[in-house]
Amino acid sequence: MAEALAIAVGKYTYVHEVGKGPPEAIDAHHIVVRRSREKGVNLCLFTLLLFVYPTFLLFRQGKLDTLHIWSLVIMALLMRLFLKKPVKKESVLILPAFGVQLETQYGSGKTVRQFVPISRILKPVLTECVTPVTCYWSLSLIIRGEEELMLVFKELRPPVKMLAPIWKALCAAIECGECTETIT
Amino acid sequence: MGEPEKHRILMVSDFFYPNFGGVENHIYYLSQCLIKEGHKVVVMTHAYQNRSGVRYMTNGLKVYYVPWKPFLMQNTLPTFFGTLPITRTILIREKISLVHGHQAFSTLCHEALMHARTMGYKVVFTDHSLYGFSDVGSIHMNKVLQFTLADVTQAICVSHTSKENTVLRSGLPPEKVYVIPNAVDTAMFTPAPERLSRDEIVIVVISRLVYRKGADLLVEVIPEVCRLHPNVRFIVGGDGPKRVRLEEMREKHSLQDRVDMLGAVPHAKVRSVLITGHIFLNSSLTEAFCIAILEAASCGLLTVSTRVGGVPEVLPDDMVVLAAPDPTTMVHAITRAIYMLPQIDPQDMHNRMKKLYSWPDVARRTEIVYNRALKCSNPPLLDRLSRYLTCGTWAGKIFCIVMIVNFLLWRLLQLWKPDKDIEVVPDIQVPKFQHEETPFGSRKEESF
Repeated sequence: MAEALAIAVGKYTYVHEVGKGPPEAIDAHHIVVRRSREKGVNLCLFTLLLFVYPTFLLFRQGKLDTLHIWSLVIMALLMRLFLKKPVKKESVLILPAFGVQLETQYGSGKTVRQFVPISRILKPVLTECVTPVTCYWSLSLIIRGEEELMLVFKELRPPVKMLAPIWKALCAAIECGECTETIT
Repeated sequence: MGEPEKHRILMVSDFFYPNFGGVENHIYYLSQCLIKEGHKVVVMTHAYQNRSGVRYMTNGLKVYYVPWKPFLMQNTLPTFFGTLPITRTILIREKISLVHGHQAFSTLCHEALMHARTMGYKVVFTDHSLYGFSDVGSIHMNKVLQFTLADVTQAICVSHTSKENTVLRSGLPPEKVYVIPNAVDTAMFTPAPERLSRDEIVIVVISRLVYRKGADLLVEVIPEVCRLHPNVRFIVGGDGPKRVRLEEMREKHSLQDRVDMLGAVPHAKVRSVLITGHIFLNSSLTEAFCIAILEAASCGLLTVSTRVGGVPEVLPDDMVVLAAPDPTTMVHAITRAIYMLPQIDPQDMHNRMKKLYSWPDVARRTEIVYNRALKCSNPPLLDRLSRYLTCGTWAGKIFCIVMIVNFLLWRLLQLWKPDKDIEVVPDIQVPKFQHEETPFGSRKEESF
């Protein structure tokens, strides 16, 4: 059995599944995206309006002018945006003495997994990222022999309040890994 | 009496390390001293090659290298509103109380000050240069400056000449403009351990070899000085488009053995070049302050300089020989300086410079300006718009439109991403090191 702790901030919910049992138990950290239902409904209604008006004109006049063609183009783009499979959840599974598994779960149900052996991880780092328009925190892993940092959350940008406990857990797991290496 | 108020300052400029120059040094040293006084200082600049994101420098000075690529003379492309989201994010996440912009050339500085005023922050602007009034570039620059300074809380200039120039160009009330000179890190610029022999007199020139720095003047002065004084040798450090003319002059007058051309001199090696000479020659045609002559005087060199801009305000009369920017007068000034050399004591000169110009003093004076700026009232948007209208028949209206659009965009950003959704950054406590190499800490940890 696992005990779950949850924190909700903005559109993200952080779930920490603490494994009951030996210290080797899997430590799972999930960042779940909370989809706004009203946003989806509004988008659907807006798309419907954009679609209904040109269709009505097409049946009535038998032709479409530029404005109506543009409204159809906008509608198509909005539909694509709405139907695009968004990320539902990103997880970090810490397997003490083995490694870290990073998982990305999409809205369609598809899951992408990546396993990083503990021996390859030098250090987990919390960094501030700067883009031309904003700043945000990100959790990365320094990988042995790699120039680039490996992002733990590739799609989502959870707040630092959620990243800090995951970073602490990763630090503890990697220190533990180093201990076992020195013992053996 | 209560403890002095601690500020959270955002320094903004397109010019910062790893780029080197007067403005860059000014921001760095001022920030270090303000941190020592207990204030929080954050620097915002554009990215330099692969130097992007957040970097920490000595004493925990935090630098945001925003990934906006420079497009001309280390300046970012003017977008008016493009920098609003990032500026707003930094101001909120760092809990900034005051924004300090540097250099009228800096696009990022002008935009950040505009956004900060829109958001109701107090702003201070420091002008580091002098400008003309007649050429196209200056007319345009003066209009931009007028726009920025129309709503600035306080302004700082590096010399009284610079203040006069800024007031004339921007129409800013003189009582809003303060004069705080630059300083020099005297610990970095110490005289040679042993006094140099005067059998051969070495004149040092270190500057960018461009028209503004009087490179054409050097072309005429050097051969004449070499003709009049057979024991004089020149060391010319620096690079630029006018280097070719100096090389040609050296060939024409067969002065290869008496004029050493060093090329570009890294800032870290400036002192080692200066201490090989007796006299420092500055031939600038325009200068708001001239830090180079401070560095030379700190190294114990007697200075010969053109009487331009703020230069006459920089050094006491017994440390400098001033001349009009024409070859004949410059040659006479150099001759006078050669005869003055026996009375010059480099160590005494260095000690005097230590008292006259210090960064902690500059920081204390800047703090007073910050305190006054924060006491100023915050007028509503309509009152501020009336200030912009006075900037010109057409320009005033354009400035008003720009500010209204900026205000609306800011409100839109607040709706899209409210202030409470922007995470506040925790302050990092930097351990105090006991063995510091300079008053500003060891600079070994900075990879420029």
